[in-house]
Amino acid sequence: MNPGFKFFLAVIVSLEISLTTSLPTNLIIIGIAVVYLLFNHVKIKNLLLTLLLPLVAATTIFATLYWFTPEPNLQNALCLASRIYVYTLTIYCVFIGTTTTEFARCFEQNFHLPSKFAYGILAALNLVPQMKQAIKKVQTAAMMRGVYLSFWSPTLYFKAILIALNSAENLAQAMESHGYVEDALRTTIVAIPIKISDWIYSGIILLFVNLALLTLN
Amino acid sequence: MITIKNLTFTYDLQNKILDNLSLTIPTKEFSLLVGPSGCGKSTLLKILAALYPKYAGQLTGEVDLNGLRAAMLFQNASEQFTMSTPREEIIFALENLQVDREQYAQRLKLAVKFAQIDHLLDQKINTMSGGEQQRVALAVLVAMDVDLYLLDEPFASCDPDARRFLINKLAALKKQGKTILISDHLLSNYQNICDNIFQFQKKVITKLSAAAKDNLLQKNKDKKNYHFALPQSEQPCFTLTNTKISENRLLLNQKHLQIMAGKTTLITGANGIGKTSLFNALSKMLSYDGSLTYYDHEISQLSTRKYLRQVGQVFQKASDQFINISVADELNLSKKSPNNHFFTDPEINKALIALELDQTLDQVVYSLSGGQQKKLQILLMIIASQAVLLLDEPLSGLDNHSAKQIINLLKENQARQGQTLVIITHDLTNIAEWCDYHLVFKNQQLTYVTK
Repeated sequence: MNPGFKFFLAVIVSLEISLTTSLPTNLIIIGIAVVYLLFNHVKIKNLLLTLLLPLVAATTIFATLYWFTPEPNLQNALCLASRIYVYTLTIYCVFIGTTTTEFARCFEQNFHLPSKFAYGILAALNLVPQMKQAIKKVQTAAMMRGVYLSFWSPTLYFKAILIALNSAENLAQAMESHGYVEDALRTTIVAIPIKISDWIYSGIILLFVNLALLTLN
Repeated sequence: MITIKNLTFTYDLQNKILDNLSLTIPTKEFSLLVGPSGCGKSTLLKILAALYPKYAGQLTGEVDLNGLRAAMLFQNASEQFTMSTPREEIIFALENLQVDREQYAQRLKLAVKFAQIDHLLDQKINTMSGGEQQRVALAVLVAMDVDLYLLDEPFASCDPDARRFLINKLAALKKQGKTILISDHLLSNYQNICDNIFQFQKKVITKLSAAAKDNLLQKNKDKKNYHFALPQSEQPCFTLTNTKISENRLLLNQKHLQIMAGKTTLITGANGIGKTSLFNALSKMLSYDGSLTYYDHEISQLSTRKYLRQVGQVFQKASDQFINISVADELNLSKKSPNNHFFTDPEINKALIALELDQTLDQVVYSLSGGQQKKLQILLMIIASQAVLLLDEPLSGLDNHSAKQIINLLKENQARQGQTLVIITHDLTNIAEWCDYHLVFKNQQLTYVTK
């Protein structure tokens, strides 16, 4: 499915379940999302993390609405708590099996995102491993001169910002030297098409979500 | 002809990098730009690539490329990519140039074959070695099919084979009618290939006469035979026993090796073979399997803080070494190092003058030229006076004079303090004579050799 469609579908579904209260619908969406993730060969470790981390938020909401309310409503508490899982799992579904490059291309080609943003963000993401490495290097370099830079040391962040600024400028020059001109026309070598099936699948999914929201209460 | 007329360029209004420069560079020829580090070679190339004054500095005068489309290969290979793999970078560049899909396929094939990067095409760029990245960067320019290739010390992190390979490839491009302009400190391998040499000296660029050019290239022609001893029963500083080092792939698989204390050991080997990874393991930035000891203590079990007071690494990229902002602050920090018992203010001043850094004390370290940064970096690490110094390509980007000064400093300091030096280099010219041992890194093994 087109990455942009997946993204907007997740946003619409999340919005809809935020505006209505239907525990069964939430559970069905969560179930389908988990099956979809498993079907797309999600790493079990990542799946467990995605299920465990939101537990904190979900438990807090549940506790507030069930244990610390004068008139507790189990149905309502569970519904709101399960929403957290709908959000995280649907977003995970959007990102599994799609690379950041595909997203950038899709938003540039299909949704007219200015190429400056698309490639700027992409390049910044590609810099993340470099930044991590750079921070480690800064710490090592400091220790070799008898200075210990802890995780909260201002010098470390100063260096990190310097590295980031420097990378940003180099990046702008690198993009330009590879022919990039802001707002200029670009051709499409790798196309991310919007297929009829994208519309059909999205329509069907939205239809079922709405039917579930209307009927299962 | 590329014409430059009355060109003046400054970064900060006070120091003119280029002063009223007029020059013509013949097109469809292979030209070399030589000169001491910090003289403005990179600046001129960036002006020709139309990156300056857009990104830095102020310019007066005229530059006429005669309608040529130019692209530039940067000094630091890792800084010229937007995308994560070579294939995606080529697609990005060709989309920018409004090339269609059919032409893309042809150009990709051509570029990949030209730079021989088929095995690298879908590998992440940030996992490649410096030499591999330069090869990829060249492939991108070939795919872009530009007319003018501006290359800023493109071979600094290439081994001799890769260097020869790339220079011959560039010669082939010239035959196809491309214009090549390279800045380089090393002049080997250019004989019979280079048409013109432009010498940069004191803000003036002169074109050398044919005789002077041939003379200069002849002087730098390969090369002397060196002789090294084999280590006898000395005290080892590092001992490797069944050591394995991996980074994306297995790089080192060493049964047994000792690196001797108080000696200078040279390490050579092809690009991407794992020399820097070995250093990173020795300075605790990379984990290893098996045993790697420092004076019989397992390195992984030593406290990083204490260990790094003993073992220092001079990084390939100079700016990685800096912690403070100004040159003076950096020098002060090194001076205060607990190991430093030798470098007093007069000593440091003497070194600064020798390295031509004495006028830069108030400058921000990042505003120094590539060569100046390198010199400062090595000086800082010499002053810090660790027992062991690992030097990763210490002379890359340095002109002959600066390189000799650096080596003198290293030598003097070693004689006084009995430092253990381990040096990775591609360029044996200035360094080989005073090294005790030579390790060759090949087939995941380090072996002592005599030549």
